[in-house]
Amino acid sequence: MVTFALLAAVSVVGALGVVLLRQPIHAALALVGTLLTLAVFFVTLQAHFLAAIQVIVYAGAIMVLFLFVIMLLNVEEQHAGARPWLRWLAYGVGVLAAAGLIVGALADPRQIPDPALARAALRGGNAGLIAEVLFVDFMLAFQLVGVLLLTAMVGAVALVQRPQPPSAGAISAEAREAGLKERRGRPGSPEVVEAGGR
Amino acid sequence: MDPLWVTFIKALVLCLLLLGAFAYMTLIERRLLGRMQHRRGPNRTGPFGLLQPMADAIKSVFKEDIIVTNADKVVYVLAPTISIVFALSAFGAIPGGPAGSLFGLNPWVVDLDIGVLYILAVTSVGVYGIFLGGWASNSKYALLGSLRSSAQIISYELGLGLSVLSVIMIAGTLNLREIVEFGVWTVSPWLWPPLAIAFVAFVISAIAEVNRTPFDLPEAEQEIVAGYMTEYSSIKWALYQMAEYVNMMTAAAFISTLFLGGYRGPAVVERLIPGSSEWPIVWLVLKMAIFMFLFIWLRASLPRFRYDQLMRFGWLYLFEVALAATLLTGAVIAFVL
Repeated sequence: MVTFALLAAVSVVGALGVVLLRQPIHAALALVGTLLTLAVFFVTLQAHFLAAIQVIVYAGAIMVLFLFVIMLLNVEEQHAGARPWLRWLAYGVGVLAAAGLIVGALADPRQIPDPALARAALRGGNAGLIAEVLFVDFMLAFQLVGVLLLTAMVGAVALVQRPQPPSAGAISAEAREAGLKERRGRPGSPEVVEAGGR
Repeated sequence: MDPLWVTFIKALVLCLLLLGAFAYMTLIERRLLGRMQHRRGPNRTGPFGLLQPMADAIKSVFKEDIIVTNADKVVYVLAPTISIVFALSAFGAIPGGPAGSLFGLNPWVVDLDIGVLYILAVTSVGVYGIFLGGWASNSKYALLGSLRSSAQIISYELGLGLSVLSVIMIAGTLNLREIVEFGVWTVSPWLWPPLAIAFVAFVISAIAEVNRTPFDLPEAEQEIVAGYMTEYSSIKWALYQMAEYVNMMTAAAFISTLFLGGYRGPAVVERLIPGSSEWPIVWLVLKMAIFMFLFIWLRASLPRFRYDQLMRFGWLYLFEVALAATLLTGAVIAFVL
């Protein structure tokens, strides 16, 4: 219980940091901290596999991409812009949503399941059980999600692609050399990284 | 399961061993590079230069610790700490011998069911150290270095993950100790070609992940000064160096554990000296030494990739080869065995 309270406090502080910090990199780092705390939550629940996946996918891949983009675009600190009332509106909506969430959670008639039951269902939290759920019970849904992600990725690539010259099939050696030089100029072109998203 | 205090002491000892090994790896590396380049390397401090690491340590501790005025102070100090903390934590899951072989103790810090994923997860968080350091320095060369490192590490993580899959599919477990005990090469000769391909792909990706030549673009000194650590000095710079060498050792141990039987000795020696395969630590350290030598050898022999070559190699060749190895393993398991 003490562990839970400590972890909960840390993760809430991290989540507040994401919203309140002005510097985008600091906000992203606070999010990384929150995600790592969530991974520790999984560890305390004996779900080791989920914890590892949480760290690899969220902290290790997605947030690295976030930070990469923030650094590449060199986003500066944001100050109150032309519409100062917008922030107060956002605060109001946020407080309302949080209140709604708390009321919803407290009014929920469902009971917390017995921990022994949960532990039996997790079976030590290893990969086999999750694989069974993903690849046997929900095979079709899993495959469809994969196709959906692929579609999103192809769409993103299609959106950022510049129009090709008509004779794209037969690029002269000169043009290719020029293209290479241009690519060499920019470290880590965003298209390349886009394709790396998981 | 060990009691908590035993785990704690083992973790402490492991950290000290890794840092000691780091100190002497710098000496070994410089001496070997000297040999390979027809010069002597550091040999003045103590016999064979053996006291050189001490001199280096004293020097880096007493140098002025500069914090750049326009740096983001918190992140600037945090970054090298992240690097070294996650580098040291990753090694804990590597088993050093069979259960209870180290004077009745287990020669590992933690025995996780998801050991493979643990090491991949911890090393992938370690990247933050490098590229936050480059950003916090508020210098364009440092920023370029950190952008390069994040793009490179994400690209090569795919090759790394895919080539591990072959081993996991054959052994059917994510526990490193069980993978070693299983012995992936003993299953069937049909599995040797995909395993060999996966092994080569894994070694190449691992070298890219630890930023060693020919993949050391984040710190390419001819192009971007020293990349992400340009603005670091004194002990913070030393922390980055430690993290790099500890990561190299973890990579070497990880490769040995996955593909080369980890802590188990070769069968030939086992036949000559029965029971030698059960010795803890010895075989793992020997196998690690082979890979550390390989890393140094490559540094002395290969020029650095150009950035576009690095990306093309990672995405167009390494990724496909690793994928082919995985598919081949799957096909052999499904249709032949």
